[in-house]
Formats: sequence, C-alpha cells, structure tokens
Amino acid sequence: MTPDPAPHASGGAVAVDASPLPAARRRPLGPATVARGSVPYLLVAPVVVAIVAILGYPLYKLVTLSFQQYGLPELIQRHGEWIGLENYRSVLSDSVFWDTLVRTIVFTAANVALTIVLGTLIALLLLRLSAPVRILLTSGLVLVWSMPAVVAVQVWYWMTNFQNGILNYVLTELGLGDYFQHDWYGSPFSQLAMVTVLIVWGAIPFVTVTVYAGLAQVPRELVEAAQIDGASPLRVFRDVTFPILKPILLILTSLSIIWDFGVFTQPYLLIGASHVDASNYLMGVYVYIEGYAHSEFGRGAAISILMLLIVAVLSVFYVRRMVRMEDVT
Amino acid sequence: MRARIIGAAVLVGAALAVVASTASGGTQAASSITVWLQTDAQATNWEPIVKAANAAFQKDHPGVAVNVQYQTWGNHLQKFDATLAGGSTPDVIEMGNTEMTKYMAAGAFQDLTSEKGSIPNSGTWLEGLAASGRYGGKLYGVPYYAGSRVVTYRTDLFKKAGIKVPTSLAQFTAAAKKLGTQNKQKGFSPVYIAGTDWYVAMGFVYDFGGKIATQVSGKWKGTLASPRAVAGLTAYKNFFNAASKASKTTDESHPNPYTVYAQGLVGSMLGPAWFSCCVGDEYKNATAQFVMPSHTKGSPMPGFLGGSDLAVPIGANKALAVDWIKAYTSNSSMTSLRGIGNIPNTTSLLGNSVNERAAKRSWFVPTAKNWVNVENGNILRNMLSQILTGRLTVKQAAQSASDNIASVLNG
Repeated sequence: MTPDPAPHASGGAVAVDASPLPAARRRPLGPATVARGSVPYLLVAPVVVAIVAILGYPLYKLVTLSFQQYGLPELIQRHGEWIGLENYRSVLSDSVFWDTLVRTIVFTAANVALTIVLGTLIALLLLRLSAPVRILLTSGLVLVWSMPAVVAVQVWYWMTNFQNGILNYVLTELGLGDYFQHDWYGSPFSQLAMVTVLIVWGAIPFVTVTVYAGLAQVPRELVEAAQIDGASPLRVFRDVTFPILKPILLILTSLSIIWDFGVFTQPYLLIGASHVDASNYLMGVYVYIEGYAHSEFGRGAAISILMLLIVAVLSVFYVRRMVRMEDVT
Repeated sequence: MRARIIGAAVLVGAALAVVASTASGGTQAASSITVWLQTDAQATNWEPIVKAANAAFQKDHPGVAVNVQYQTWGNHLQKFDATLAGGSTPDVIEMGNTEMTKYMAAGAFQDLTSEKGSIPNSGTWLEGLAASGRYGGKLYGVPYYAGSRVVTYRTDLFKKAGIKVPTSLAQFTAAAKKLGTQNKQKGFSPVYIAGTDWYVAMGFVYDFGGKIATQVSGKWKGTLASPRAVAGLTAYKNFFNAASKASKTTDESHPNPYTVYAQGLVGSMLGPAWFSCCVGDEYKNATAQFVMPSHTKGSPMPGFLGGSDLAVPIGANKALAVDWIKAYTSNSSMTSLRGIGNIPNTTSLLGNSVNERAAKRSWFVPTAKNWVNVENGNILRNMLSQILTGRLTVKQAAQSASDNIASVLNG
C-alpha cells in the first residue's frame, strides 16, 4: 500500500499521533488513511473474488486434475490418484495427438487466411456500393453473424445432404455436372473443407464490419493524391490503405487464430457424432472425445492444459499488440 | 467465443470435480423416486405401459411419487456422469446393453444379486440380454426389452418382380439386382443400407464365423483381420455395391432409412423391427418383414441384439428402485411391451414374430469395459467407409481397425 500523500491533514492520523514514536519516523497509517487507501481495492474486490471463484478455482482444479488418474471409477469414488506427469506423457506420446495438432494448425491457417482475405475484400466492396445496396449487404452480414452456430450447422447440413440436399440439385440443374447423390462428406479432406466453408461464412461478417470501420480512417486526400500521381488501385491499396489497416488486420488475425484453433461446435455437429474419428479430429473435438466420451477426465484435463498453453503462445502476440496500442493513445 | 466453448466445457468438467469432492452421497427422500427412461418409451403406445407400472408400484407404496424423466441416447451418459459426480443419481436408469460393462466395471451400480429371485421371470430371462447385466458374477442390470434387426420390404415391388422371400444371401443379392433393373428411379436402393451401419456389417462378419475381438488370458485381441472376418466384410462390400444406393459414408440416422423408404426410393431395408412404424401412409399396406438370410441357405444372418437393462445407481433408494423395476418388468408389462413390437425379457413370453425369429441367431459386442470407446471413437464406421469408398482394401482397413480396437479395449 502506498503512503497517502497528505496524511497529516486528516483527523484520524492525529489520533494515532499519540504514539510515543518520534514524528519523523511515524508512518502515516491512520484508520482514515487506511480506509481511503483501500477504497479502490474494495471496489475491485467483488470482481476479483468473482473472477477467482469462477475462473481461478476451476483452473486450479483443472491443473490438479491433469496430474491425476481420474476416470469413471474415480469420478464415482470422488477422488483421483496422483500420477504426476503420466497424463502428459501418454498424450504427448500419442500419435493421434500430434496428427490432430498438425491438422488443426493447417486447418486454422486455411480458415484464418480465407476469413481475413474474403472479409477485407467484402469491406472494400462495401466502400464502392451505393447506399441501398450497402445497407442490404450489411444487413445480410449481420444476419449471418447473429445466426447461432448450431442452427447454421443444421441448415448447412440440410442443404448439402447426400439424399435430398438442395446443393446437389441446384448444381445438377445448372448443368455443372452430375451432382446427383454427390457425397460432400466422403473423405476427411472434404469433411473438413465443408467445416471450413461454414466457419469462414460465419466469421466473415465480423472481419468485414471491423475492416469497414477501419477503412473510414483512411484519409480521402491520401487516396486521391495517390490516384492523381497515377497509382493503380492495387498500388493504392498496398501503399496507402493497407498500412493504415495493418493494426486492425493484425488483431483480427490473432483473434481468428485463437477462435479457429479451438473450434468445436461446427466440426462436431457438421461431421456428426457418428463420424468424428482419428482421421478428422480437430483439437476441440479430440479433447471432447478423449475427456468426456471416454470418461478420462484427467487425460482430458492434460490435453486442455496443453491447448491452453498453445493458445497462450498464440495470443502473446495479440496481447502485446493491444498493450502497444494503449501506449500510443 | 469458440475457444471459450472448449474452455467452458473444461470448466464444467472441473466444476463437476469440485462438486464431487464436496457433496455427500445423499439418498433421495423416500417420498419419491426418479426413473430415467429413454425417449423411446415416450411413444404414444409405450407411455401407457410406464404409467400402468407406476400405478402398480404406487399401490404398494402409497404416497411415493414416481418421477419419470425421459433421456436421449445421445447424451444420457454424460448427464449420468454428472449426477454420479454430484451425488444426485436417479434411482433407476435405463442403460443400453452395450453401455453396461463400462459402468458396472467402474462401480456405478448397486449389486442386485440377492434381489434377483424376487424379480419376475428372473429364471427365464433372455440369456443374450441378461449377460449384459452381469459383471464379475454379480447382477447389476435387470433385462428390460430387446429388439432385433429384420428386413422391412415393399411387398408390391417384390410381387411385381416375381421375387419370393429370399432364404439365402445369394438369393437376396439376385433379388436385389432384379429389383434394381425394374425400378429405374434415380437413387432407388433395392436394399437400403447406410454405408457405415456397423450393426448390419458386423452381422456379415459373424455370419462368416468372424468376430470383432476375443479375450485371450485377460488381454483383448482384435480379430477383424482374420480370414473369416475379412470374408464377411468382403461379402458386406459386395452386397452393398449390388443393392444399396445410400451414401457410403453416412450412418443409419442421416437420413433415417425409413424416410427414404417413405419417399418410395427403397425396395427393402435392414434395421430394427420397429422401422415398420414409419414407412409412410402410401406404403403402409404394402410393407412386410422377413428375417435377413445368412449366406448358408435356410439360416438367419446373426443380427445385433439391441436392448436395454434397468440398473440401480449407487446412492439410489435400492428398495424402492427394485420394487419399481419389479412392477415395470411384470408379466403384464412385458406382454404389453411385446404387443408394441419389442422382444420381451423372458423366453416364457416369446412368440414367433419375425422379430423374435431373427433374435434366435444374434451377436453381441465384446463385453469389455472400454467397448463404448470403440463405439464413440467410430473405429468401425471409419473402417467401413474406407472399405466402401475403396480408400483402403478390405484387408488393410480391417487390420488397422483391428489394431485400434485392441489398443482401445486394453487401454
């Protein structure tokens, strides 16, 4: 606690002055001083207590769980057996874990790249549209954004259905080939490609709206000056627009990486509980199957901690960026 | 947000553990009991049987309310895990027969061995079903009902093609080809089988003398790559290619085979006997069932004997729970269950329906405590999709699945 800068003015401090200590050595810690100094801490206390209770304690339990053998028998007896790093050892020596990690990284890279590129392109398109069309497109984007993932999966699954899917029907009717009973979920690659389309579709609105807001900060004069100097549209984007958008794009990329790395709802529901297996696991699905479906809660906790560490490393960049931006403002 | 969903799931897990360490194992107040049944029993012709059992139970226990909660197969185990951790288990729970072993091995249920004698028909229980409720020589699950898999078919189409009910796999294959040439609608399946329907595919394996896994001196050994199992899987592949236009990678609930049937795109389909419920008004009167024939003429193909047991979780009020089970598995209750197309739990009530004839030759999954993990890891489905799409040869896919199964069962 830092000493109050003007303690002697307070009546409470005077009351404490009755102590036999010499005035010069007195520490200004009268009740009122303490009270005043602790007000900010008291004000944040409820929040801190709430965070510790709902985040810190479960996290602590999760860490301890990851060092225990904790399966169904232990769940019933309500205490696990300490096995040190055994869960981590078994996970890290499991080839499924490494395959899943590599697959998830590739998947995340593809999803983030598609999301950012398409989102930015649509934002640039919005700039050039007439007001009514822009409003129409923006409302469409907001509708996409507001659709719950579970509902989106159901609609998407229905459209791409093997037996009666409208996508196969439309593609065939358009004369693009015989898509009758085309199986969009026929291989792990196409399963994950379908998940990618769904995720990118759902994530584009956020990127578009944010980038569009960022584009408003690009000074008109700069763009016009560049155009008068004979710069091509591509050149204008590269040398004028992009540098201004860069901080926004960096943050959007970091956030998208964090989201897509741990994605669960879309792959689990779209591929389906009957079809998620070692050939198409993403990290989110993998930890669910290992932890919950197999009732190996300790092992699941270890995988979660590993995922947490990976995401933490990924988000260091994001946090640093945020801190630096706060310094600027 | 998405990252947070995982975080939330993990936190829930941690929270369960928290609850687990603090809650004391309280038993339910004696004024009511909680029963978890599957939503199947919510059907309009089924629920009256539950209500009748409740009434019979309450005659002996006036004032004790029976709180029946209907669960879905997809997530009832996760919910059950949560109640185990929280000490608020139901008094009676319906368990699928393939789900029992894991929970019996973990000590989730109360031992009912000494009550067995007082439970109706316990001397004549269907052995296939009763076996799923026994572990280490003790009784943990009371057989509830069973269902077998049969062929549901369009009598009008069979008649038009001049096909009689086939009595061997070869005859059925020939009939399928004939139906295929006569019905030219796009997507018409003479025999609709979803590609990864492992209940059907394993029937072929057992029919050819193969097995999924065997236990050798305490250790599980995958046996799907044995010559007999491979012969069965090859027969499945050939039959599928000759007869089914379903997706090679889909399962038997996406879409439900009877939905395709009701659209008029199916000559026959393999599945639980109750499939006849939902074939559509148009074909209701042109639908009948027969027993899936074996590759050996005159014999039925072994079908998966699906079924349920009733178990009493730890922490439950055992006396009341057992009394409710007695009421629900009584002769009159079983007669009613049989009346709506189920196989009763006792041989004393068995008749000669297609369903019951099919049940005479059946197979069951390996009774290993980790079997459920083979199911929810989708090892068999993955193997079937590899085989049917030709990504791997039968032998390669079977070998890889067999190794996986052994490692999961011994894990």
